[in-house]
Amino acid sequence: MTTHTTIGVSVPRRDLRDKLTGAAKYAADVQLPGMLTGAVLRSPHPHARILSVDASAALEMPGVHAALTPFDVPDGSIAPDMPILDTEVRYVGDEVAAIAADNEHTARHALSLIRVEYEPLPFVTDAQAAIAPGAPPVHPGGNLVGGEPLVLERGSVEEGFAEADIIVEDTFSTPAHHGAALEPRVAVASWCGDDLTVWKSSRGVHQDRLLLSLALGVPRERIRVIGLNMGAGYGNKDETRLSALAVILAQRAGRPIKLESSREEEFVAGRHRHATVTTLRMGVRRDGEITAVHATTVMDTGAYLSSGPGVIRRAGQGALYLYRCANVRYDGYLAYTNTPSGGSYRALGAPQGHFALEQIVDRAAQAVGMDPVEFRLKNHVGPEGQPGERTTPANQIVDTQPLEGGIPFSSNGLLECIERGAEAFGWRDTTSVTHGSIRRGRGMAIFIYRGGPGGRSIARMRLEADGTLRVVSGVMDVGEGSITALTQIAAESLGVTYDQVRGTFGDTAHTPDSPITAGSTVTFSAGLAVKQAASDLRERMISAASDALYLPSSDLTLDESGISAASGARLSFAELADLVGDIEVEASVTPGSADYIVNSFGAHFAEVEVDTDTGNVRVLRYVAAHDSGRILNPRLAANQVEGGVSQMLGFTLSEEMLTDPQSGVTLNASFLEHKSPTILEYPPVEVIFADVVDPIGPYGAKALGEPPSIGPAPAIANAIRDATGVEARDLPLTPDRILNLLVEREGKPQ
Amino acid sequence: MRPFQILRPATLEEARAALGGSAVSMIVAGGTDIMGEIQEGTVSPDTLVSIDGVRGPDGMDGIEVSDDGASIGSLATLAEIASHPAISRLYPALAEAAASVATPQIRNVGTLGGNLSQRPRCWYYRSPKFSCLKRGGDTCYAVDGLNKYHAIFGSGGCHIVHPSDTAVALLALDATIEVYGEVYGEAFGEIHGEVGTRAMPASSFFVTPDVDMTRETALRDGEIITRATLPPPDGAKSVYLKAKERQAYDFALVSVAGMMRVQNGVVTDARFALGGVAPVPYAPPALGDALVGARASAIDPTEIGGMATLGARPMSDNGYKVRLASNLVARAIEALLA
Repeated sequence: MTTHTTIGVSVPRRDLRDKLTGAAKYAADVQLPGMLTGAVLRSPHPHARILSVDASAALEMPGVHAALTPFDVPDGSIAPDMPILDTEVRYVGDEVAAIAADNEHTARHALSLIRVEYEPLPFVTDAQAAIAPGAPPVHPGGNLVGGEPLVLERGSVEEGFAEADIIVEDTFSTPAHHGAALEPRVAVASWCGDDLTVWKSSRGVHQDRLLLSLALGVPRERIRVIGLNMGAGYGNKDETRLSALAVILAQRAGRPIKLESSREEEFVAGRHRHATVTTLRMGVRRDGEITAVHATTVMDTGAYLSSGPGVIRRAGQGALYLYRCANVRYDGYLAYTNTPSGGSYRALGAPQGHFALEQIVDRAAQAVGMDPVEFRLKNHVGPEGQPGERTTPANQIVDTQPLEGGIPFSSNGLLECIERGAEAFGWRDTTSVTHGSIRRGRGMAIFIYRGGPGGRSIARMRLEADGTLRVVSGVMDVGEGSITALTQIAAESLGVTYDQVRGTFGDTAHTPDSPITAGSTVTFSAGLAVKQAASDLRERMISAASDALYLPSSDLTLDESGISAASGARLSFAELADLVGDIEVEASVTPGSADYIVNSFGAHFAEVEVDTDTGNVRVLRYVAAHDSGRILNPRLAANQVEGGVSQMLGFTLSEEMLTDPQSGVTLNASFLEHKSPTILEYPPVEVIFADVVDPIGPYGAKALGEPPSIGPAPAIANAIRDATGVEARDLPLTPDRILNLLVEREGKPQ
Repeated sequence: MRPFQILRPATLEEARAALGGSAVSMIVAGGTDIMGEIQEGTVSPDTLVSIDGVRGPDGMDGIEVSDDGASIGSLATLAEIASHPAISRLYPALAEAAASVATPQIRNVGTLGGNLSQRPRCWYYRSPKFSCLKRGGDTCYAVDGLNKYHAIFGSGGCHIVHPSDTAVALLALDATIEVYGEVYGEAFGEIHGEVGTRAMPASSFFVTPDVDMTRETALRDGEIITRATLPPPDGAKSVYLKAKERQAYDFALVSVAGMMRVQNGVVTDARFALGGVAPVPYAPPALGDALVGARASAIDPTEIGGMATLGARPMSDNGYKVRLASNLVARAIEALLA
């Protein structure tokens, strides 16, 4: 095996010092001369037509500089189902109008002076009710997105169930769950003549620039979007309505403006994990072989589509692909409702789908008298992939989320994850315990996730005039550490140390077009481009040195001290740049494989304690085993896993966005009421990496950012069942739900 | 949010006068909730009277414990109460209740007076989007809405739960609340009273919505809580248990404070109070009778726990509180008998 000097080393994060000292700048820190403050008027109705908006009294107020209403904004759309501002509002909190004023106090006061005439319309807040006949349409064309469900079937589930000795079925629900990033959405817009600059809390400056250009009709070349540090993304913050409003207000007022969401606005008008209801049916033979899996998910996209179609697809991938099975089916219904919009959020639907799947798997194992680990070892999909015939043409890049069988994985460390995780957890020695009102139990779950190969990625590497080595990429580090990983890749590929490489990221004026930070693809996809660019730069530098020194390239080596010749001659990078000028190379890659599916895997194990007096669930310890290929930076990687597990502990045990069914009002849009866990709730998490080297990814790496969020809910729910016997179908597993389930269970014969 | 002024009186009388000088004035001490209320539009005072500077002879910051009982100034912080050695030894229910509030940051500035007079957390009441009974409307939105945190005991139409932890402990410990202001009464006529202190048992300090929909205590406009006094424990044990959804920064789903005195194996006194179940700290009526006179060894905690929730009328989402309250009372009794 090649030895690496930077890859696989826990170098410190690039942004560590600035973040620890408070020096790191975020979009909200941007201050410009003459900058105004914006505020948004939001709908008090879950569904209404806006008949008129009168902002004249607000505009007459001293200190108010501009107003926007649905009747005077430019034509244009933020998304196909979302104009810049609409004359129809679709949830309580939907944007109605906006104000630019000298300060926040004046802006908020001015909002109260805007007179809006609403015609309330019938509304629906429940996804299943929304797709029933006669439900009030949230958008023209009805509430079932696309007019029909997404139906995916491999083989025939009808035949699969006919082969089964036992069929296990149940229905599970997950709530609207907010990522609750510490940094709320914010945009600063500033015009200089025809040129526009936007600072934004962003997960993709190039996409933001494109969307703003499309919405506003401003050529892309005249828009610069700058992403500074990000106070967490968790996958969202990609919609651009807030920044579009800021841009128009700035234009109208003739001054720069900052528009920042309040905490309540961040909850309600941000994006959350979609609520789902999933019915899962599994057929097994007495010998423990799975014969059929059929999942049906109804997902609530809320008032707008956002990334709903991608999320509904991913909610089904576990059922379709995690277990070796010829007969599987997924029916996905994506429904509009008059509630806040769902959106991209760490692992996009996979946690919801696996919550149902992995509980049913435990019950199927029990039905055939097998241990949960043993059952999964028998049935999990192996390196060879699913049975069946490949339908993707031979030379075409394989989808990372296929339905078809007959395609192997580039690497599949599920077996290692299950075995090593179970061993580290002490699965066999962890038994359920009863002590007074306390019940202890163990649970586990495995998972599969697409990721890695994303969109076409471009990276540049430069030798600059003073000898600086620089990696340039348009991707945003949303907090996960990708700029650190990309810098490591650049250093390794170039043959220098991590500290020698500087980076430029997240500014459309200085970086090539790049995809958004989504789907756990950045380190993999941008990493391949960076690796290529760095390797190309190395060749160019050696070749330039060869020309300058009149020595053959084969006599030259490049390392951290510069370029040296066998003869002992040596050029530092600054000397080389002095001689040959700066050198820039650009690499563009379309990541992916025509031969293999690139997926990540994992197995999670939890021991929990349930207090049957209070319904409180405490996670005592947690083991998270991951196959994410080679780990480029063990410390950052472990942080990602710990963060994902901790975040989803909230999804599992306490967090949900609650919408009042009578009024459509979100009742708990605050840190006090949304019940994000505190440090006291976090268990110790032992992180294990299978460290299977992937043949496709950069230095063998695969996706890691999102997969840690898939395992916690089913692993913990399975542990609760092991501890108490109750079947926890509905998240979050708050004390009221646990107590109700215990009472329900007492009423039944044991 | 409309502008307001802040006054900083140095004496209790100045504070009272400052409160009386404005149409809409409110007291601020620790200040952990009032800005939230103002921003939510729940209240819109034009004057805030900061009593934090009221120290000295008529200061309200001290904690004194003697053979005669305890006196705790209303400006004593929750952190001070939680860590006070004599309070912890003689009145553990109060120390534990104070320690269970919110977060260390809040306990460091939050005061006893503020904790007793804080407004309910009901999400309909706290939202400017609902004109509920407490905001002068004619509907309790919790009845047909989401009510998992709401009351299971009778309420006069409004289903808030009283949010205070220390109030529950003070009720079980038979505390007396002293307030300073104009003292009304037969001797003084109904309109103008004499300035002074009046004292009332904790059981009458908290008032239900059918008595006064707009407030949760018997405090009148212009009155200031000065202290809580506690009778000597005389060997009684006490305990406070609080069920919540996360271990910090959370209000009680249900809490229970219990006090019990056992002499020669026989219960001679017992008082229990529940939080999170009613618009006021709730004293289950039959528990004292069932326990006093009983042999400690003959008490069945589960049976007593069941009695604590007799008469509960849960709504759609809060039925679990019946089981939870019974379990907590049983657990408290086990702790008191241990």
